[in-house]
Amino acid sequence: MLCKISSASYYGLQAVDIDVEVNVAEKGFPGFGIVGLASKAVEEARERVKTAIINSDFEFPMAKITINLAPADLPKEGACYDLPMAVGILAASGVVNLPQKKAYFYGELSLDGSLRHTRGVFLLALLAKEQGVEDIFVPRLAANEACVVEGINVFPVDNLKNLIRHLNKSKQIIPLRKVETEDLESVAEPEFDFEEIDGQIQAKRALEIAVSGGHNILLIGPPGSGKTMLSRAIPGIMPSLSEDESLEVTKIFSVTGNIPPGGSVVKRRPFRAPHHTTSMAGLIGGGSNPKPGEISLAHRGVLFLDEFPEFSRSSLEAMRQPLEDGTVAIARASGRVTYPARFILVAAANPCPCGYLGDSKKECKCSVHQIMNYQRKLSGPIMDRIDMHINVPSVDVNKLFLDKKTNPGEKSAAIKKRVEQTRMIQRERFKGFEHLYDNAGMKNSHLKSCAKLTVDANRLLKQAVNKFGLSARTYFRLIKVSRTIADMANMAEIGEAQVAEALQYRIRSDN
Amino acid sequence: MTGKQRNFIKGKKGELIAKEYLEQKGWKVIEINYQNKLGEIDLIMSAKDWLVIVEVKLKVTDKYGLPEEMIKKEKLTKVRKIAESYLMVKPDIRDKFKKYRIDGVCILTDDNFEVVSINHYENLY
Repeated sequence: MLCKISSASYYGLQAVDIDVEVNVAEKGFPGFGIVGLASKAVEEARERVKTAIINSDFEFPMAKITINLAPADLPKEGACYDLPMAVGILAASGVVNLPQKKAYFYGELSLDGSLRHTRGVFLLALLAKEQGVEDIFVPRLAANEACVVEGINVFPVDNLKNLIRHLNKSKQIIPLRKVETEDLESVAEPEFDFEEIDGQIQAKRALEIAVSGGHNILLIGPPGSGKTMLSRAIPGIMPSLSEDESLEVTKIFSVTGNIPPGGSVVKRRPFRAPHHTTSMAGLIGGGSNPKPGEISLAHRGVLFLDEFPEFSRSSLEAMRQPLEDGTVAIARASGRVTYPARFILVAAANPCPCGYLGDSKKECKCSVHQIMNYQRKLSGPIMDRIDMHINVPSVDVNKLFLDKKTNPGEKSAAIKKRVEQTRMIQRERFKGFEHLYDNAGMKNSHLKSCAKLTVDANRLLKQAVNKFGLSARTYFRLIKVSRTIADMANMAEIGEAQVAEALQYRIRSDN
Repeated sequence: MTGKQRNFIKGKKGELIAKEYLEQKGWKVIEINYQNKLGEIDLIMSAKDWLVIVEVKLKVTDKYGLPEEMIKKEKLTKVRKIAESYLMVKPDIRDKFKKYRIDGVCILTDDNFEVVSINHYENLY
């Protein structure tokens, strides 16, 4: 008998309808074959499905079973077809009646017949809504991801046995209601609080601006001056995701399996800190079947690249286009995928190989040639895309022993509150625009209406551009940074002081 | 007696023991030791509506392993190929049965060819 079950695959961030056709033949040698461009994980489903069916006290039909995953030209990956296959085999051998309406079945089986957490459930739910499919059957551990999508019934399935009982209407599974997952937000504390970091007032202010407006920032300083510590404290001041942003991030996290079992939508902004040996495919995304890289995983969050010049030149240069467009398009023989990659780049670097160039106390031991070689690694086009270049000087050790009580630094929580306020102003401003949430995301065409400069400010900016020979891109980026600084002061128009501050971050003394 | 001759006799003996054992279960013999250029099938029998291809393995003492260990996936693939070619040249048998399968019978004997154990495994493939 032939049975058709619906399931889904995804290509990029788009889920695609897949028909799992199961034929249990009357004639022929018993066997179990899967066709339809199945990957190794899908091929291995045979053993899982067979054992899971037997361990769920059902009979595995002693007949020739052929499974086709249609459309046949789309490569299938992952273990998510275990459940549709098992249901299909049981339906084709007459153990269970399939629902009349189209429903999606999705999930990886364990050998004992229970369902394991499976990635990509969120995309399945979006597909179901788009296709008008009402019922989806997914593993309980991943069901929370799906129930944020409204208008569909999410049936959380514990094991195969329960599902068969439900389909045979002997014991119903109750569809999941939308769950509140506020508590998930409070987990994962930042490593450092800004309060713990002494001095570095300028760097702290710059980081606040960067996070408030979504601007890229480069911290340059000698070893031990606190670049890494400052950057690692950023998660504590990042604003929470708006609902739309959260869905964008959840899509990526769902596809890559980064949502923990039981987790729902992502509410915290991602903070990714890949090591500098990360390959280009790992950073940008890629592979023969393209997967999102670190820059996409940092979408709407922060990508922290410590030891910036140590990254391979090709990886850094590959970030040029995503830094500008906020998306990365990966083309491979199997097709073309576009992943979003709108992130705040926070980079940390030493000024030279020994690290002490320009330091007030220690002498730099590098030759001019070495310094040039080191700085050449950071190419013009990349530096041009970084809005703020901040010097982080080494800290005066005497200051470290000051009594904390008399001279306390500002708490991350207080800074975060201000950042949230600045973000609110921006959100209000960009209400009519799609996928635009922060000042850094503005296109040049938006600037005219959204970022008005006073006459004085305009004059100052033009002077600076002429004097320092800044590029057109830098000009526009400067306006965006001044817009953020003005927002922080809650000003409708950008004044001279704001432009001056933005310029100060962009023009380094050695420039 | 050379090794080959000894193997031949062991094979025949195993087929015989398996045949008697399965006939006790009410199965009927269709072919014993069917051969073609691809190889041979030890037994072809009918069990109700099933056509069963039987692979027999006999081991004299378990000194060098159990008979179960000697039936490997490659062997089963080979048996299946031979069975399919058998069904092609015997359309009457192909049409008479609806369901086919490959079974294994593993026989263990002592030094004097006295049967120690017989195990029958259904649907090996």
